[in-house]
Amino acid sequence: MKALLDNLKAQFPDAILATRVDAARAETSVSVAAARLLDIARYLHDAPEAAFDHLTDICSVDYPEDQMRFEVVYHLHSLPLQQRLRLKARIAEEDPAIASVTGIWKGANFLEREVYDMMGIRFSGHPDLRRILLPEDYAEGYPLRKDFPAEGRGWRSQFDFIPRFDEAPMDVVESEISEETKDTFRTEPGTPGPGRKEELLLNMGPQHPSTHGVLRVVLMLDGERVVKATPDLGYLHRGVEKLAEGLTYMQMIPHTDRLDYVCAMSNNYAYVRAVEKLLEITVPIRAEYVRTIVAEMQRIIGHLFWLGTQALDIGAMTVFFWTFREREVLLDMFEKLCGARLTLNYYRIGGVDSDFTPELVQRMRAFLDIFPEKVKEYDSLIASNRIWLGRTKNVALLSAEDAINFGCTGPVLRGSGVAYDIRKAEPYGVYDKVEWEVPVGKNGDTYDRYWIRMEEMRQSARIIAQCLDQLPEGPIMAEAPQYIPPPKELVMRDMESLIHHFIIYTQGIKPPKAETYCSTEAPKGELGFFIVSDGSPRPYRLKIRSPSFVHMGAFDHMARGYLISDVITIFGTYDVVMGECDR
Amino acid sequence: MTELGLRLAVSFVQILAEMSIVMFTVAVMTLAERKVLGWMQDRMGPMEVGPYGILQPLADGVKLFFKEDIVPAGANKAMFALAPMLTMVVSMIGFAVIPFGPDMTLDIGGLTIKPFVVADINIGILYILAIASIGAYGIILGGWSSNSKYSLLGGLRSAAQVISYELNVGLAIVGVLLLSGSLSLVEITEAQAGGFWHWFVWGARPDGFFPIHTQVFAFVVFVIAGVAETNRIPFDLPEAESELVAGFFTEYSGMKFAFFVSAEYASMVLVSCVAAALFLGGWNAPYPGTIFEYIGFQQLAWIEHIVWFAAKVYFFLFMFIWLRATLPRLRYDQLMRFGWKVLLPIALANIIITALTVYFFPRG
Repeated sequence: MKALLDNLKAQFPDAILATRVDAARAETSVSVAAARLLDIARYLHDAPEAAFDHLTDICSVDYPEDQMRFEVVYHLHSLPLQQRLRLKARIAEEDPAIASVTGIWKGANFLEREVYDMMGIRFSGHPDLRRILLPEDYAEGYPLRKDFPAEGRGWRSQFDFIPRFDEAPMDVVESEISEETKDTFRTEPGTPGPGRKEELLLNMGPQHPSTHGVLRVVLMLDGERVVKATPDLGYLHRGVEKLAEGLTYMQMIPHTDRLDYVCAMSNNYAYVRAVEKLLEITVPIRAEYVRTIVAEMQRIIGHLFWLGTQALDIGAMTVFFWTFREREVLLDMFEKLCGARLTLNYYRIGGVDSDFTPELVQRMRAFLDIFPEKVKEYDSLIASNRIWLGRTKNVALLSAEDAINFGCTGPVLRGSGVAYDIRKAEPYGVYDKVEWEVPVGKNGDTYDRYWIRMEEMRQSARIIAQCLDQLPEGPIMAEAPQYIPPPKELVMRDMESLIHHFIIYTQGIKPPKAETYCSTEAPKGELGFFIVSDGSPRPYRLKIRSPSFVHMGAFDHMARGYLISDVITIFGTYDVVMGECDR
Repeated sequence: MTELGLRLAVSFVQILAEMSIVMFTVAVMTLAERKVLGWMQDRMGPMEVGPYGILQPLADGVKLFFKEDIVPAGANKAMFALAPMLTMVVSMIGFAVIPFGPDMTLDIGGLTIKPFVVADINIGILYILAIASIGAYGIILGGWSSNSKYSLLGGLRSAAQVISYELNVGLAIVGVLLLSGSLSLVEITEAQAGGFWHWFVWGARPDGFFPIHTQVFAFVVFVIAGVAETNRIPFDLPEAESELVAGFFTEYSGMKFAFFVSAEYASMVLVSCVAAALFLGGWNAPYPGTIFEYIGFQQLAWIEHIVWFAAKVYFFLFMFIWLRATLPRLRYDQLMRFGWKVLLPIALANIIITALTVYFFPRG
């Protein structure tokens, strides 16, 4: 890494403004001049000693007091060299514009649109710079800027949302979107063009039986073949990132449940890991084991849910009910563990909420005994079914280069033959203490991704079984009095503990002034949290790198040339959850 | 009473009886489908209305009857109303030529009538094929007149599907016609009397056991094409709910919706009846003669015949549900490829082989 930084300085002596190596958190960030960003990015992507082939995330931070107000943060990741780099560029408030890196990483398309949507930074050279999460005619400004009030501007009742039939039609709000672009999103194009139109425009979603929530895609069809697919996101956008700026670090945990609500605790895990990395606390070993077990149970639940819905999308109905039967067993265990079934909340900063009871361990073992048989049962319905193979093999092909270039992670990336799993590459929890394998596909088709998820369920069961065998005794919360409240029993009896508890819960915890990015292997892919802390009890900026959102960026690429039926298969094969995608 | 009046009255009673039987079977099927699926999927199915949910079809009927009938804006109202009626009528009148009991005759007031077949016409099977083709119009019209793109796509898919698979149904039947030498369903069934080895699916000659004229390939082609004709999984592309919402009847509600659904079940029953009559010996028991005849109640033998016919039909209906629980859906291009490149050659080869075997080893 040091050599790379020296190289960079030698190559671009005037453009590298500062480098910062955070040894404690093992992170490197480089501040560059915005004008030279494109050259530096291209160098970092192409040069063999850098090889940053994977653009993890693009984020923006607003510093209203500074002369160069906006900071655009690029998280780069080199899969062959296994290193990460944070690239930062500052731009001024008037006419904030920066070069687009879509030419280098195709995955930047959606990420840059999000930055434009939320912070109002224009990316010159971007092929399709429109709002992505907010409505296209949203005229209230850019919500993630610090001068945008956290409670929003005005109330919903003051907006004219639905034009009434007895009123004259509203004037269309002027926006920078051309009429031609807008036409794509209209069911009936404004003016019929000359002559016959060969393509059929089909609006799929947000209300459709199999768009996995409120995903909307506008399909341009030639017969039943997709000519162009335009995803329209944001129907479930709740502004979690803005909300986080008004919440203390602890209060944010329940909000992460609602990201990927199918496996809520995976998000908890990703978030508390990021905060722990920021606070530099280590978690006791028993808590690490418990966390790993629960995270893998969540992975099984997530994949069971995915298998059921993917099969239902393709028309096999029974698999859905069978997977939900096993999901029910797991949900009962979670109910025992933390009292909830859907938006579970169990991880805490520094450990976990409660310990396993012997009865729960017993139930888990019983489940692990039957689970491999059940996976075989699902396989018996579909794995060798000719129709299933016909519907999944060679459908939605994604080559390894494209998968990396689009920033795909998780099963989507592994399905294309890239053996990248954060649990192996940057082990956390106790993943390095147990034996397991990373399944990797060959062709990058839907079948490979199906096979990988099936195999991951088996591997997860294997991990849980080993963890249960190794489970050591000990505390389940870290010792860090300035960040972690005392146990409840002490609070009830002991005056000092009560004061301690009171202070932490009223004032919140104050992390050091720092910034950190921490990624976790969630069932959908790499779920990362980027936290900028200014030393106050609330995050200055919190960015969620959600795998579903990044994967949707590759949707058009994957859907083109396939049939309507395959579009549904592609929704399924991404395992997209809109709560996480739209945040 | 004049002879014509009597004839009409008898026909009317017969039609009414047949209609009630079919509608009852449809109602049973709507419940059976949910119960059997539930049993295969480790769940209960409907349990609320009546003991074990057996009154569910009634509740569904009442609900659909009282539901608001919504016609989408911009729909062609006349066509929109016509489509479900057409589908329903077509799937009901096919039953006119189905013999669901033995070829008995009754004498009422000087008239000779056949109680177990409404119309024993000598081109019964052609009539059914013709009627089934009209059924596609209902679907296409429904899809087109709804003024919805999903419906339109469903209707288009259905048009292509019905045309491709109609051909296979027709070709699969030809072998049976060669063996029986008749187009009348009654005569076809009678030609299969004398034990299960005489059923056309095995095709032994009337004087032997050896299945030289076997139609088992035609039977498989017919059943697969029949499933496709009735838009059932794995060929339910016109109404693929995960792709096209509900396909051609996306915009339908209330009774019109009920018409489409009951028509679908009725065509399932019709296809099952035709398959039973053509390949599985219709009302004939799998052993020679009947048990009633053997123990001396010859006049009650028709009960046994009807029970056997019903058993065969319900076997097919069960298979329809079983398929739905097991198989995923084919894609449009796969469906076409399967129909034209797999089923059609098999059906054609079957015709040639049957023709040759019938020529060299004539049937009695």
